[in-house]
Amino acid sequence: MIVRRRGRLTLAALTTAVLLLAGCGGAAPAPGGELTVALQFPPRADYAFDADDGARLQSLGVAETLTTVDDGARPAPLLATSWEQQGDAWRFTLRQGVVFHDGTPLTPEAVVTALRYVAGVEAPPRAVRGTGFAIAVDGPDAVRITTAEPDPVLPLRMSSGNLGILAPAAYAGGGAPGYLRSGTGPFVLTEVDGAESAQLVRNDAYWGDRAGAARITVRYVEDPQARALAVQAGDVQFAEGIPQAQLDQVRSAGAEVVEYPNARTVPLQLNQSRPPFDDVRVRRAVTAAIDRPVLAGQVLGGGAAPAADLFGAAVPWGATAPPPAADVTTARRLLAEASHGPDDPLTVRLWTFPNRPELPTLATAVQAMLAEAGIRAEITVGNYEAQEPQVLAGDYDMFLNSRSYLSDFPDAASTLTSDYTCDGSYAIDRYCDPAYDALVDRLNGTADPVQRQELFRQAAGMLTADAVGVMLVHPVNTAVLRGATGFVPDPLQVRPVLPQLTPTG
Amino acid sequence: MTGLLLRRLLVVPPVLLAASVLVFALPRLAGVDPARAVLRARSADAVPDPAVEERIRASFGLDASPVEQYLRWLAAVLRGDLGNGYVSGVPVLAQVGTAATVSGLLTVLALVVAAAVGVPAGAYAARRPGGPLDRVLGAGTVAGVAVPEFVLAPWLVLLFAVGLGALPALGWGGPEHLVLPVLTLAAYPGALVAQLVRAETVTVLARPHVRAARAKGLGEHAVLWRHGVRLATTSVTALAGLLVAGLLGGSVVVEVVFAVPGLGRLLQQAVPAQDLPVIQAGTLLVVTVAVLAGVLVEIVATALDPVQRSARGAR
Repeated sequence: MIVRRRGRLTLAALTTAVLLLAGCGGAAPAPGGELTVALQFPPRADYAFDADDGARLQSLGVAETLTTVDDGARPAPLLATSWEQQGDAWRFTLRQGVVFHDGTPLTPEAVVTALRYVAGVEAPPRAVRGTGFAIAVDGPDAVRITTAEPDPVLPLRMSSGNLGILAPAAYAGGGAPGYLRSGTGPFVLTEVDGAESAQLVRNDAYWGDRAGAARITVRYVEDPQARALAVQAGDVQFAEGIPQAQLDQVRSAGAEVVEYPNARTVPLQLNQSRPPFDDVRVRRAVTAAIDRPVLAGQVLGGGAAPAADLFGAAVPWGATAPPPAADVTTARRLLAEASHGPDDPLTVRLWTFPNRPELPTLATAVQAMLAEAGIRAEITVGNYEAQEPQVLAGDYDMFLNSRSYLSDFPDAASTLTSDYTCDGSYAIDRYCDPAYDALVDRLNGTADPVQRQELFRQAAGMLTADAVGVMLVHPVNTAVLRGATGFVPDPLQVRPVLPQLTPTG
Repeated sequence: MTGLLLRRLLVVPPVLLAASVLVFALPRLAGVDPARAVLRARSADAVPDPAVEERIRASFGLDASPVEQYLRWLAAVLRGDLGNGYVSGVPVLAQVGTAATVSGLLTVLALVVAAAVGVPAGAYAARRPGGPLDRVLGAGTVAGVAVPEFVLAPWLVLLFAVGLGALPALGWGGPEHLVLPVLTLAAYPGALVAQLVRAETVTVLARPHVRAARAKGLGEHAVLWRHGVRLATTSVTALAGLLVAGLLGGSVVVEVVFAVPGLGRLLQQAVPAQDLPVIQAGTLLVVTVAVLAGVLVEIVATALDPVQRSARGAR
């Protein structure tokens, strides 16, 4: 009897365990199912390669580039398996056995057609703009890319999503390439409904690892609250860009929350071309007055990491040690040294714009922190377009900006040049130091990624030492999963996001 | 009546012409440089390249004088050619047409729901002013008028999509996708209609001819609907024109929250991208619909109201 009862108890326990496991089936990957995902930014230019939309086909896992990047932000093989520099040119050897979604093979001619198209448009993508880009077939399995000057980072440039390669038939119409069923990636783009949605089907003939889901419906949902609610309602299994305020809400609904760094900095730019910020003591006083950990943790509620440097944790050469807290005593001392004391309070204009909602909030907090140190900041929140000409002309005091420090491929030379050299095209701080320019100039002859990254680090260090603006925070990216697994965060934003997602349960 | 119709319709062309001037000029007066907007919208964080900017300016015909650009644009619009979006390159007519169909459906359904709920609610509340039903409906209509769409929409999603799992939280396609956006859009006009019908009906029910009707033995139900509500519908009809314009404008929030591909959402995407052809076409369409709805409502209200009809006829 006892044995039978024990047997029943064991059976009940086993049944319960099986049921519990079945209930927990949500956590077990179930490859081959379908997913619906909510992405933050809809395509604005019909997935055009010459616009920022171009990278979308890459992040969806539809189009592929000659190279990709590894975790160390170094070039890695993708459609090209190897490459070598030959003077002004680089020779890329193509992967064998790759087939476009329309069934045609990847050939050097196809690569030439695709890249000639995108390099020849009215406004070519930043990755190749102004480089004197030219491409030609080089044997049966390679292409040769030439630039006006020897380019040490061409393999890295080729990882830009704007340089995706579609089947030759896509370019036959003469206009923008047809992106349906013409990539080489793990997903085939079969249907697009404008800026609303897109349908992806797994490419079972893919040359690499198969995608985790058999089919994905992509919904473009701009409203962050709507994305969060869609996850909670089970309408979507993956969503990106959930605001900090709603993370607890989606967590409580059983969603997995992933937070990862963003290659973006919010700098408080200071006009060095005229008083008071032509005096490094005043710039340092501003730096000391601002409590960056408080801005990130309290003002933005953890939606950003405090910035110690121009570059943050998103890149291997970024600073990860936290910046110091505010030191108002030092700030006041430095201001006094610069002849700004209680009898001569410093009044400055602080401009910013509302396109990024965190900026006006940060401006108000910065205003309060500066007031503690004896600096009166008058805030103007206006249209960026209207402010930009004056800011670029050096007719401003303080400008709270938001800046991505990587442009389409993970190399910082472009930002370091355009924003901080004496002749930079976006040199808002109007910083000019021949030593800095010489350091950045060395990047032109440095191909080794490790050496380049060391130069990036040194350049950022010079900017910090010279108090070239105050790097306030690095925003944090968020993604949530409920009913899916396998999300691989990509702070560099050049690798596909969707192929790894796998339905669960 | 025909004279009234003609007089009202004759006003429409000059109003629309004036609107077209404003629609064309306002973005430019606000400092939007279309060529730079094209570049920036396609490539965020771009530092404008003057040479590329000039090429874009020429290729879009933006190097002509503003008057020439306006006349060229107006002539094209009158031909039904709205051009291609600066940003997307997609024909504007197709974009605006699809979006307007979606918004139009939402607007009509919201008005139907508002009338279907608001008229009987207001009428029954008017039967016993101050009674329990009146007080409950009064509180409900105050909430309907006061709670903004951006608050109501998430609450409806939390209740019906997250809580009950009965309806989708967002998207567009099947009839189930209509329910929550229509309920959100109908809340304000429904409450307004209920308040108006209640107030009008209370007034009418106190008039001598209604008391006489009651004295002759006419049932309460018949008194309410034949005498009270019938007159109140004239005011509701007059309100409808304003509601149509309000719904077209107010649908932005609803379309964004529910990811519905309507006109409001199209404009919400086009404005930050400064996609002028889309902004101009969308705005002109909204203005046209609002003007035509206003005229139509005035004519219908006149036709329904014998007092107004005879007064206008006597002019």
